[in-house]
Amino acid sequence: AQGTLDEWAQPVVDPEVRAFIYSLVTAVGGSNSGEDGRYVLGDDALACLKDLIRWIRLYDQRLNRLDVARCLAEANLVKGDLLEILAKYSEKVTADKLKHKIALACLELLVPLTWPVEIDTLEATVNHHRHAPFLQLAQIGYKRAILQYDSAKILQTAVRIALPSMAEPRKERTQRDEGIIRLVLYFMRNVTMISQPQTLPIDGDEAEVSRSATIDAFYSQDILQVLLTVASSMGDEFVSQDVVILEILFHLLKGVDVEKLFMEEQKLASTNTDELKSLIQKEKAMLAGYARHAPTRHNRFGTMIWVKRDDDRVSTISGQDVLGKAQKSMQKMDKTKKWNKPRHRGPKKDDEGSREEFDLAVPISSSARKHLRAFVEDFLDSSFNPLFIHLRKAIEREEERIEARHSRQYFYLVSWFLKAECTRRRRLKERAADSNGSTVLSVEDESFGLVAGVMNQETFILLNRFMQRSQDDKAWQDLNAGMKCFTQILLTVQEMSESSLEDDQEIAENIQNRIFYEESTHDRIITILRSYKDQGFGYLNACTELSHVFLRMLERYSKQNVDLQIRSRRRARKKRKAAVQTEDMENGEEGNASEAEDLAEAQRATTERKFDFARFSAKFMTQNCINTFVSFIRFYNDLSAEQLKRAHRFFYRVAFKMELGIILYRVDILQLFNKMIKGPEGLDPDMPAFKEWEEFVRHFFRSIVKKVQERPELVVEMLFSKISATIFFLEHGYDREVTTRT
Amino acid sequence: ANGEKEGLGIDEEIKIVKKRQPIAKLDETRLLSAAGIPKLRRISKDRLKFKGKGHEFSDVARLLNMYQLWLDDLYPRAKFADGLAIIEKLGHSKRIQMMRREWIEEGKPKATEEIDPEE
Repeated sequence: AQGTLDEWAQPVVDPEVRAFIYSLVTAVGGSNSGEDGRYVLGDDALACLKDLIRWIRLYDQRLNRLDVARCLAEANLVKGDLLEILAKYSEKVTADKLKHKIALACLELLVPLTWPVEIDTLEATVNHHRHAPFLQLAQIGYKRAILQYDSAKILQTAVRIALPSMAEPRKERTQRDEGIIRLVLYFMRNVTMISQPQTLPIDGDEAEVSRSATIDAFYSQDILQVLLTVASSMGDEFVSQDVVILEILFHLLKGVDVEKLFMEEQKLASTNTDELKSLIQKEKAMLAGYARHAPTRHNRFGTMIWVKRDDDRVSTISGQDVLGKAQKSMQKMDKTKKWNKPRHRGPKKDDEGSREEFDLAVPISSSARKHLRAFVEDFLDSSFNPLFIHLRKAIEREEERIEARHSRQYFYLVSWFLKAECTRRRRLKERAADSNGSTVLSVEDESFGLVAGVMNQETFILLNRFMQRSQDDKAWQDLNAGMKCFTQILLTVQEMSESSLEDDQEIAENIQNRIFYEESTHDRIITILRSYKDQGFGYLNACTELSHVFLRMLERYSKQNVDLQIRSRRRARKKRKAAVQTEDMENGEEGNASEAEDLAEAQRATTERKFDFARFSAKFMTQNCINTFVSFIRFYNDLSAEQLKRAHRFFYRVAFKMELGIILYRVDILQLFNKMIKGPEGLDPDMPAFKEWEEFVRHFFRSIVKKVQERPELVVEMLFSKISATIFFLEHGYDREVTTRT
Repeated sequence: ANGEKEGLGIDEEIKIVKKRQPIAKLDETRLLSAAGIPKLRRISKDRLKFKGKGHEFSDVARLLNMYQLWLDDLYPRAKFADGLAIIEKLGHSKRIQMMRREWIEEGKPKATEEIDPEE
């Protein structure tokens, strides 16, 4: 029984299929065996390409397999043939019908081959799981080949194939023309979208397929210009292409830091240096923290100490590091315990893949930054309004081409561009201030017209609906995008209200009126904050930021507008019901039909009432909201100064402004705060936020010590979340006087 | 073949299944036992001495140490943070909530007792 390894190995693909594919790939063409080694097309190249397309359609797609794609990846079709053929399709031969057809066929193959491989949990077969990792790596290879192809500009060539169709006026375009345009745009999307999956090994240089490389290639091959052209004439020359453009933009921009994008080169460099400095400082502080507790003698020195407990018992701890440090020995006693509380291992609410979607920062090289910045500015100037208005309408109408992910991408991009616009304006102002009036800001620079397309009531309604629905459906990533968008809208309105133009101030006033008028908005924000549970850090960050921004702006607004009215939907059933009944008696039978409607209406009667900020902000001071912020601050060592500040403001508001410190009196919270300030592994004392926090914690601890002495019951109650019935007594020492109506 | 199997059952080995020692749980019963909250109430009364202003951090550290040692005696298996989480969760149960109210009532001045008909 001798044999080769091949006999033992299970073939992953039916050998017959493989044979067919390989013979087709061979027949497409090959390198000239002559001296120059140029690529020569096979005699029936076009037919072969068409056959391959047919194989993909009729075998892979219809039977729901990935076998052909796998064979083509192994046969090196993309790099060996398709790109070679496209490279020959130069400007000079555009008019040649046959060559155009062949180039188009190549593109028709490239698009399905680069199409993102997703494992759909419902439809996936064994085949998918077998081939997916291989194909994902192969696609990285495709992207590398496409971007780094040196003898011709592949992306540009692809656009050239579609140019005749694009030049045609929309009314005269045939179905085929539309198809070609769509093909090219999807090709761009696929190229942007392909990225190194975190779960797979890295094959080759990652920088060659990074976001920066993509942006550089898009710039040098004028793809950014194409995107601008299509986006700016959205609605008249282009209609159904809006979602593809949306996807390209989303995959191009997600995770890019807006602040850094708009920074001056020098300033960025110094920021980066500062960042490095602060990181080194952080590391130093961390090492110093360890060194303080490190043993001073060798590790077999063998010290052992007793900790005296009550009833004359002792606990023993080994190691000299605990000598003479009572606190340290307590920590070591705890640390040496082996058992861990089992964590809930249900299906994860937030899988890694979706988290990476936009909560992962993407670094960008300086050349790519320059190009992307220019692109973003041009985009804001020319295309933002037409594209985003058009998209909003498409989403509202629930057009067939809109898929579930598009709403999420839409709102994420709205928040991204709003932030970009605000940042750009700030830079402009800084520059004007720097140059002492030599560059005067024009009215155009001042106005918010460039983003007006999303600052309107229609968008707010859509956003509200979207947030409500994703909350009801527990679609947390969607809600995350919605929250980011809403936060950014609030911030933009805020800047608008401080604008020097009276028109803008008035518009801002109007928008704020509308946003703050609906009580349902207020309730939604509270509910979101209250119901956080394991949705991941990105979500946690978004919901705490939204609450923070909303609360702050509402506070300011309600101070300026003391007589703010809000519309609330309350149940006014009883009263109305009685009214309906008496009416019925009078009208006899007639009223029956409309009775149901009346009742439904009565249940959701809309009333206006005066807004009371103190009462509203008290709603944030519940145990669940506090738990959310506590889970947020548990990440204290990874939080930025701004995030630390946000948490600080919240806890400060709870403990001292609202005088509800009682719900913070819980041993786990005490321990967390103590650890943050006193370590080990606490906040870095040199951080600017440290002082603030230390001051707060000291205040807070003082109030606790006082309260515990006043009311010894608290010793037990500090173990638990408080019961609403006893909060008042614990806080004040006497029961609330309940006035009962008699 | 049938008879052989039935036999008298003498030849068959008696299998002894060792029952696993049940793992002690931190539950309501344990929390309410003498070593649980009653003890915490006792030791907090005679052991907690605070220094007051200017010593906030050491005071709270002493408070935390008291909890930690108490929890270590009550349920040595769990780390401090884990134990706290378990107890906090237990606090949502009806029985513990009732007890908590009672403990608070005990601390109240007697005069207020009759006013509260709900309890």
